[in-house]
Amino acid sequence: MADKVKLFVNGQEVEVESGKNLIDAIGAVGIEIPHLCYHPALGADGNCRMCLVGIEDGRPPLVPACKTRAAEGMKVQLDTDKIKKIQRDIMELELINHPIDCPICDQAGECKLQDYYMKYDGQKSRMTVKPVLKAKKMDFGCGVVHDQERCVLCARCVRFTRLITKTGELGIVNRTDYARVNIFPGRPLANRYALNVVDLCPVGAMTSADFRFKQRSWFLTKSKGICRGCSKGCNIFIDHNREKYKDDVIYRFRPRLNEKVNGYFMCDAGRMTYKQENDNRLTVALLDGKETGLNEAVEALRRAVSQAKKIVCVISPNNSLEQMFAIQKFAANCNAAVSGYSDGYVIAGDGDDFLIQDDKSANRASFALLGIDASKAGFDAAVNGADLLICFQNDLSLSLTADALNALAGNCKLAYLGSNMDACAEKAAIALPVASATEDAGTLVNVDSILQQYAVAVVKNTPAFDMIHVVSQLGGEIKNCFEARAGLTAAVAALKGIDLEQVPGEGLALTVSEVPNVAA
Amino acid sequence: MSDRSQLIETGKPFAFDAQRDAEFERLAKRYPTRESLILPSLWLVQEQEGWISAEAMAYIADRIGTFATMVYEAATFYTMYNLQPKGKYHICVCRTLSCYLLGKQEIVDYLQRELGIKPGAVSADGQYSLEEVECLGHCGSAPVVQINGEFYEYMTVDKLKELLATLK
Ligand code: SF4
Ligand code: SF4
Ligand code: FES
Ligand code: FES
Repeated sequence: MADKVKLFVNGQEVEVESGKNLIDAIGAVGIEIPHLCYHPALGADGNCRMCLVGIEDGRPPLVPACKTRAAEGMKVQLDTDKIKKIQRDIMELELINHPIDCPICDQAGECKLQDYYMKYDGQKSRMTVKPVLKAKKMDFGCGVVHDQERCVLCARCVRFTRLITKTGELGIVNRTDYARVNIFPGRPLANRYALNVVDLCPVGAMTSADFRFKQRSWFLTKSKGICRGCSKGCNIFIDHNREKYKDDVIYRFRPRLNEKVNGYFMCDAGRMTYKQENDNRLTVALLDGKETGLNEAVEALRRAVSQAKKIVCVISPNNSLEQMFAIQKFAANCNAAVSGYSDGYVIAGDGDDFLIQDDKSANRASFALLGIDASKAGFDAAVNGADLLICFQNDLSLSLTADALNALAGNCKLAYLGSNMDACAEKAAIALPVASATEDAGTLVNVDSILQQYAVAVVKNTPAFDMIHVVSQLGGEIKNCFEARAGLTAAVAALKGIDLEQVPGEGLALTVSEVPNVAA
Repeated sequence: MSDRSQLIETGKPFAFDAQRDAEFERLAKRYPTRESLILPSLWLVQEQEGWISAEAMAYIADRIGTFATMVYEAATFYTMYNLQPKGKYHICVCRTLSCYLLGKQEIVDYLQRELGIKPGAVSADGQYSLEEVECLGHCGSAPVVQINGEFYEYMTVDKLKELLATLK
C-alpha cells in the first residue's frame, strides 16, 4: 500500500497517496484540478498552465499541479479569486483562435475545452481581430484526421508518438499563434497504436475517420468490455446506441484503464474489431444454407448428435471459460471427442513488446486450465472416422486449407454454433446463431494469466440465445453461466477458492504455478 | 512570423557536400547527444544551398538518427532558417513587443506596398524577400530591420525609403 499524506485543499483536510502529483493525488479523492497537457501515461509537460494552483505559505506560492508532488501539510488553494482568474485567463488564451462551433465538432460532449469553459470560464469573447486560420480535415494516416484550428497544443499526441510508440510522426511546428501540429511531408502516422491519439487529445483536434460524425457522444452507452483481438485482453469501453426504430449498434471501442493489462491504450486493429460485432452476423439458423426456424435447426442437430457414431466438439480459443466448460460437459455426456485446434488464430511473429500478441484469440490460456488439447495431431486423431463435427465458434477455415476443410465437410456432417457468418458457418450443414461476445457474459484468461470478466453490453432487438443456452438445448447439462461458474470452481484446481461471481474489475492474476493445472 | 510549415519539396535527394560532411562529423563529436546536431546541421544546409528543403530536413533527421518532425519543429521555429530560396535582398522586420509598439506595422505595410509581396514571399524578379521575425535582440533601438544579416535600427518609413534606393 502506498504511503498516505495529509494535506489541505481549500482549507479542508484530505488524505491522499504520497508520491503522486497533485492532479492525481487530489483527483483520487474526487477534487478536480483542471488540466490539458498532463496525462498519467505521458507524464507532466507543464505546457498548458491550466493546472496552476496556489500553495499557501509556499515558495513559490503558485505552482503547476502536474509538476508538484503531494506533500504532508501542504495547503493547496483552488478556489481563491486569484486561481479562478488564472483559470479564466488560460481559457481565454486557449479560445482566442479556437473556432466557436461546438455544435458541429465531433468532440462535443467529451471535450475538455468545452467542459472547462462551462466550469471555469463562462466569459464572452473579447476578440475583435481576425483569428489565425489553420488547416482542417488533414489526413494524418492510420485513420487519424486532424483539425489544426481545434488544437490546444498540449502536445499529448506528439509525446505519445515520441515516448510510447517511439515513431515520432507528429510534431508542433512554427511558433507563437502560428504553432500547429503536423506530420512531416511524406511521413504520415505509421504505427499500430496511432488511434490512441484520438482518445488522448483533450479536444476535437484529433478525430477517427472511422467514427467521426457517426454519433453524438452523449447518445452513446459506454459499457465495459474486453477486446478479443488478441490474447492480451485489453480492457475497453463498448460505445453503443440504439437509435429510434433501429437496433443496438456498436459505434466504437475505446481503451479502458487497467494498469495490470493494457494501461491506457489499445491497438488499432483491436479497436476495429467492433465491426465484427455489427457486420456479417449469423442471425438465423441455417440448414444446408437455407434459413430455418431455430427450434427446427436445434432439433436437427439433436437428432444428428443422437445418431452419430463419433462426434468431435471443436472448441474455440475465443470461447469464454464458462462456454468451454459447458461444451466439455456436453461432450462428455455424448461421448464426443474434444479439440481446441485453432492454429490459424496464431500469427507467429506478429506480436510486439507492447500490447499486441501473436495469438489472435482471447482465451487460449483457459485451454490449459481445462485440459483442452489444441494440437493438430489430437485434432487429426479426433476427426479420424468421425461422422459429426460441431464447431463452437471455432472458424476452422482459419486453421485448415480450403481443400482440407472441404474434405472434412464431405466426410462428416459439419455443424456450427457461432455469431458470425464466417467461412465455417457457410460450409456447415447446420448453423445455429448464438450471442456474440458483447451480447454475452463470461470469463477470459489472458496471455499473462490474468482472469477477467465481461458482462452483457449490447442487447439486440431480437437477442440471440447465448452459447451455453443453445448447448443445453442440445442436451448439455449446464444450463447457464452461473451453473458453469459453480461447476468450474468445484472442478478446476487452479480456480479453487476463487469466487467467479466476485472477480474484481481489474481482474485476478492466477499464479503461474496454478495455470498448468488440469481439470480435476 | 507567418506560417512556415508548408515545406518545399525539390523532388531531388539532398546530401552534404564534402566540406559540410566533414564539418558535420567534427560537430558530432562535440555534443553530448546527437539531437544537439539539429541546429548546426540546419545551418550547414543553409550555407550550402541558401535555403532548406523538405529533402534536406529528412536527410538531417536520418543522418542524426532522430525523427524528421524534430528537425521540422526546429527549422520552422527559428525564422533565421530560410525555408525557401530567398531574394537577393532578404528583408526581416522584427514583430516582437518593442518593435511592435514602436511601429513595425507601418514598416511592414510600406514594404508590402513597395515590393508588392507579403511577409514570407519573394518578389517575382527574385530581388527581394520579406519576412516578419521574432525579437532580434536589439529592442533598445526598436523598431529593427535586418537586411541580409545587417542591422538597421530606429527604423522609419522615410529611412527605409532611402535605404531601399541604395539596394538596386
Ligand atoms: S492535436 Fe490534440 S493532443 Fe495533439 S497537441 Fe493538439 S490538442 Fe493536444
Ligand atoms: S493488443 Fe490485443 S487485446 Fe489489446 S486491443 Fe489489440 S487486439 Fe485487442
Ligand atoms: S497540466 Fe500542468 S501545465 Fe498542463
Ligand atoms: S522586439 Fe524587436 S528587436 Fe527585440
